Amino acid sequence: MDVADSIHMEQPSAAQTPSTHTAPVEFAGKGGEFFGIWIVNILLSIVTLGIYSAWAKVRTLQYFYGNTAIDGHRFSYLATPMQILKGRLLAVALFACYTLAVSLFPIAGMVFILVMFFLFPWLINQGLRFNLRMSSYRNVRFSFAGSYSEAFMCFIVLPFVGAITLYLAMPWVLSKIDEYIHSNVKYGDKPLNVSLKAGEYYITVLLVVAVSVVGFGLIGVIFGASVAGSGFTMGEGTNPTDFVNAASIMMFVGYMLFISVISAIYKARIRNHIFNNCELEGLAKFKSDVKIMPFAMLMLTNTLAIIFTLGLAFPWAKIRQARFMAAATELELNSNADAVLDTMEEQKASFGEEAAEIFDVDVSLG
Amino acid sequence: MSQLMTGTYYLAKSSEAQDAQLHVNGDMVSLHYQGQCMHVFDMADLTQSSTIPGVPMEVIFPDGAKFTADDVTARFLNRRANLETLEKNKTLIIASIVLVPAFMWFVLMVLMPRIAQSSVAYLPDVVAEQMGKQAFEVIERTLLEPSVTQEVQKQQIKQQWQDTLVALELSPDKYQLHVYASEFFGPNAFALPNGTVVITDDLIKQLQGNSDAVLAVLLHEIGHVEHQHSLSMVAQSVSSAVAFAMIFGDIEGIGEILLGTGSTLVQSQFSRNMEREADDYALAKLNQLGKSGDAFAQAMQSFLDISDKHSDEKSILHYLASHPDTQERIDKAKNYKP
Repeated sequence: MDVADSIHMEQPSAAQTPSTHTAPVEFAGKGGEFFGIWIVNILLSIVTLGIYSAWAKVRTLQYFYGNTAIDGHRFSYLATPMQILKGRLLAVALFACYTLAVSLFPIAGMVFILVMFFLFPWLINQGLRFNLRMSSYRNVRFSFAGSYSEAFMCFIVLPFVGAITLYLAMPWVLSKIDEYIHSNVKYGDKPLNVSLKAGEYYITVLLVVAVSVVGFGLIGVIFGASVAGSGFTMGEGTNPTDFVNAASIMMFVGYMLFISVISAIYKARIRNHIFNNCELEGLAKFKSDVKIMPFAMLMLTNTLAIIFTLGLAFPWAKIRQARFMAAATELELNSNADAVLDTMEEQKASFGEEAAEIFDVDVSLG
Repeated sequence: MSQLMTGTYYLAKSSEAQDAQLHVNGDMVSLHYQGQCMHVFDMADLTQSSTIPGVPMEVIFPDGAKFTADDVTARFLNRRANLETLEKNKTLIIASIVLVPAFMWFVLMVLMPRIAQSSVAYLPDVVAEQMGKQAFEVIERTLLEPSVTQEVQKQQIKQQWQDTLVALELSPDKYQLHVYASEFFGPNAFALPNGTVVITDDLIKQLQGNSDAVLAVLLHEIGHVEHQHSLSMVAQSVSSAVAFAMIFGDIEGIGEILLGTGSTLVQSQFSRNMEREADDYALAKLNQLGKSGDAFAQAMQSFLDISDKHSDEKSILHYLASHPDTQERIDKAKNYKP
């Protein structure tokens, strides 16, 4: 009895589940403020023939990281402009070699492509590794633990499998790629646990296909009607070109809307699926609720604004998108959030590390 | 000079955070949390994050701990003027809206072509040779079919070609003329950087046995080779793309544009300036050979006639789009004086 009692008594403390609370992702960036940063940075980049673009990239990321907060703590972007500049110069050199090779010596270009083929998974890994290592929250860094063989599998072998199955396996391949990217993320000493379902990818892709078919049909009908309409008005004194011009602008907007909806379906559903199935072990659960139509409208209005302002609306669009994404995201935080240890080893600049930092290829984590 | 900042102190190597205050007194910085002074630092031992408008300042301590200010505008008073000042400068921001497109235009349209053009002169001959040889192999396999022009007519054109090369003291090893049929090119002639010149059946037909007009077109193509126009084009598009990539830090999107380089070469879409240079070359050499610029005018006129007849024909529109105003070229050829 006593023993049983004591066990009973101790249970609450032994299994003491830390209390949890819901924390929104807050984004405080402002369009006007970022416009100044953006345009001045582009000006400086041009004047310095691109050298400054490394500073521009770091400052832009620092602006977005620094304005994103969870539970009152802001993110930080830690890369230095020199790291980015080194990587960029190397990438540009590689890229210039590649283009020169391809356009001057098409056959030598093919050898180069073969080399790139094997280099590609490594580049992706280095990019993920670099970007995560340079991201910190509460003074603890993220990291990426993916291996070359896994990356080779995900980015070379599986897409090939997807292609030879006439793309029937592609949704499954996409789920494997996303799983690889996310399940190898660590925040300090806490791994990110992810279990993605290929079924969700299949449903999403089917939805995209269905909407595409309906959308293209609709656009075809509207186009046919507008051409017929212009034919009818020919004899009646109205200027048919005006009608056609108005129709083609409508067509353009309609087409952009259609593209926005399709990409919103995929991006929103997949992002929600990934976030809702991610967990930082014993620390946080993620919730994403991106709604398809509002997201599509956001993308449509952003694209149109950028086109009609000849690019000047770009900063505003970027801020809007970040705010929208933040608002659709929530975390369920355990109260032990301050118990994460930064396991980043002391960085001895071995050659491998140096090489790792040289390449900076962005594979966005959405 | 003293300063007080409130914010959050993040301990080194963990996510532990404390509400804290930073007191700055001259070169002395003291950190207070949990109601006591925990550390005192020399300002010189602290690293300050780069300051960005709208982002709070971060101070990094020697052991890797970090302080983030609450107020996004809070900055150390002793900080010198920095990039942030530029990014908040209203005059500079407004000026940038005008300056950015102007500078972009200058870099991409003036500076890069100039750099490209002058660098081409330093490329060894083997580059042009290899480039032409390999491009020709690819084009021949994919876009060209065997010629169906009568053998007699072909021999005539080739004989004229040989005579011309001798008269102009051009290397017959370098300059090789080929006749092919091609649906892709339509009535056209093009030159590769190694001196390989191709004329299509359709163009021969279009010029209706006017051998001087054929010669004029071929001299125009030799002009492209002599002025190294293909190499300039490649160098120009590569350097512009690199400049673009460096400025916007976007390499992926630019790759697409660059993939067009190969086809640029194939379609001999030289810039208008280059066309003019090749025209001038052709006119000068026609004159040297004792022929009048009318031959060139006639060749050009044949393009105009055809485009009037089938205004929807794609290949001709293509040809005209990349070339200077045809009428202008005809007038120039007719009035040519050495």
